[in-house]
Amino acid sequence: MTKIIGAENLTKTYNVIKAVDHISFSVEEGELFGFLGPNGAGKTTTIKMLTTLAAITEGRATVAGFDVTKDPAEVRKAIGIIPQELTADDELKGIENLLLAAKLHHVPGDKARGKALSLMQLFELEGAAQRRVKTYSGGMRRRLQLAMGLIHDPKLLFLDEPTLGLDVQTRQNMWAYIRKLNREDGITVFMTTHYLEEADSLCDRIAIVDCGIIKASGSPSELKSRLSGNVLTLQLMDGADASGLIRNVQDVTEVVKEGETYKIKLEKTERALPAIVEAVTAKGLKISDISLAKPTLDQVFLQITGNAMRDGPATGDSYGQRVLIERLK
Amino acid sequence: MFDDTIALTGRSLKKWIRNPAAIMPGLFTAVFWLVLFGSSFNPVNLVPTQIGGTPLPPAVIQQIQASITSVFGGATNYITFLTAGVISFIVVINMAYGGIDIVLDRQLGYLNSLLGSPISRASIFFSGVMQNFVKAFFLALLTFAVALLIPNGLMLGAGFGALNFIGIFAAFALLTFGFSCLFTAVAFSVKNVDSLVAIINFLAFPLVFMSTAMFPIGTFPSWLKGIAEVNPVTKAVETARLLMVNGSLSAGQLSTFADNMLYLVIFAAALAVLGYLIARRALRAE
Repeated sequence: MTKIIGAENLTKTYNVIKAVDHISFSVEEGELFGFLGPNGAGKTTTIKMLTTLAAITEGRATVAGFDVTKDPAEVRKAIGIIPQELTADDELKGIENLLLAAKLHHVPGDKARGKALSLMQLFELEGAAQRRVKTYSGGMRRRLQLAMGLIHDPKLLFLDEPTLGLDVQTRQNMWAYIRKLNREDGITVFMTTHYLEEADSLCDRIAIVDCGIIKASGSPSELKSRLSGNVLTLQLMDGADASGLIRNVQDVTEVVKEGETYKIKLEKTERALPAIVEAVTAKGLKISDISLAKPTLDQVFLQITGNAMRDGPATGDSYGQRVLIERLK
Repeated sequence: MFDDTIALTGRSLKKWIRNPAAIMPGLFTAVFWLVLFGSSFNPVNLVPTQIGGTPLPPAVIQQIQASITSVFGGATNYITFLTAGVISFIVVINMAYGGIDIVLDRQLGYLNSLLGSPISRASIFFSGVMQNFVKAFFLALLTFAVALLIPNGLMLGAGFGALNFIGIFAAFALLTFGFSCLFTAVAFSVKNVDSLVAIINFLAFPLVFMSTAMFPIGTFPSWLKGIAEVNPVTKAVETARLLMVNGSLSAGQLSTFADNMLYLVIFAAALAVLGYLIARRALRAE
């Protein structure tokens, strides 16, 4: 495997605010790598540095074998960028937007049309190719945006919040496209998202970022296994406190009693679960309800980033954000 | 770089052509200025026909009117004098406001998608310059047509020909290009429309009013005269007036024409360089 993105101590400071704070990571060729974090975590700033749109304050980054600061022109040739904003021109037709993107990426004219048409087909936009983009739905605009980023056959694609504002069905479709680009066409994908299920479903590896720092990284299953085991919820019929009894069972790490309900953290579920049931029934206590929950990425995420609301100052342009919302309607 | 500039300029102009209503404000401005301002203010009408009940002899009235006309560079009515001024006003104002498209491109993320593509910063800048230039220049031609079409409007000098026309619009093309470079660079440098409008008001209006666009230089106080004389708007307007009012130029007029054109060429080239340097600074990664 070859490293296609390498970041060492990457830092971005706006005035005194550290938007990205000495992060280091690497992405291998062919990977689908996700940057997961709450709003304002530094995800977009990181993408901007890697795609030459923001100057690096400290540290260095290489993308597709080129130093981002020293060789920005080469980096731009090698990558495709799908920004959060919908930048296709409303007044131009879908196909015109694609052909313009082709020209700006110096795709030869004879190749460009063929490539544009095949991308229109791939993203199921061929019927709308001759329509002006202002008549497109939010999902169609996102697909067109994806096509525009792929017109020059980049080997590395940066996706910034690719499903932001889309409904559930359209989101699932986008996931299928992204998966296909990665698995079938071999395009390395670096994406940011604040949707946990998106990262869980799509990414080979995830870095959880918060406050400009990478808090954890690994495959979704590795991250989930970091949460100590499963959580058993047990409800008993009568009021006797069984906490001590349950706590004594091997592989039980924590017991919290809420009324008649016990939340029990388990290390080895297959051993602990029957032992708990046995211990409780042996004491003559009756179980009224029992359920087992596997840790979700949500729990990992909340454990790592905390529950605090992120209502910091807006980082983007508010006018642009409003237009984005309008366009996605 | 040239192909990228053409492609990007094409994008803007395609949008412009598909929205014909976009030229209406410019057209209305031309009509309002020429018809309302031009017709309501005609200095020749200020000459009294009688003084203290005694009628002035027609010869005296004519002489006073002729002397006023001469102040107005030989224009036989005020609209003829004003046309070149209105064209310059429309050119400057439309280029200034043309920058709004550029600011919106920044706010909507379009500019970032250009900056992330392998095209040169120069083509991003010059495509902005060209789209503003083409739009403003088209309005300049339209204003000229309006001035000719309105009753008692622009009175061209005897012997006005194709060369006069080319000369007039060569002068306006240079003025338009120079200011397009300036205002495009400003538009790339600001982050929102409010700032742009503030700068436009600060730059565009004084540029027009500190020139001979609306009034002859003879009426100016001396401090303003000094500024107006070096103002490129004055140079373009005076060149256009010279060619509108006089069919063929005398040797002296030809030399004024040549001097003014040289001045405008230097002005356009200097602002192209200055504008590019400002824009390059504004477009680098922050």
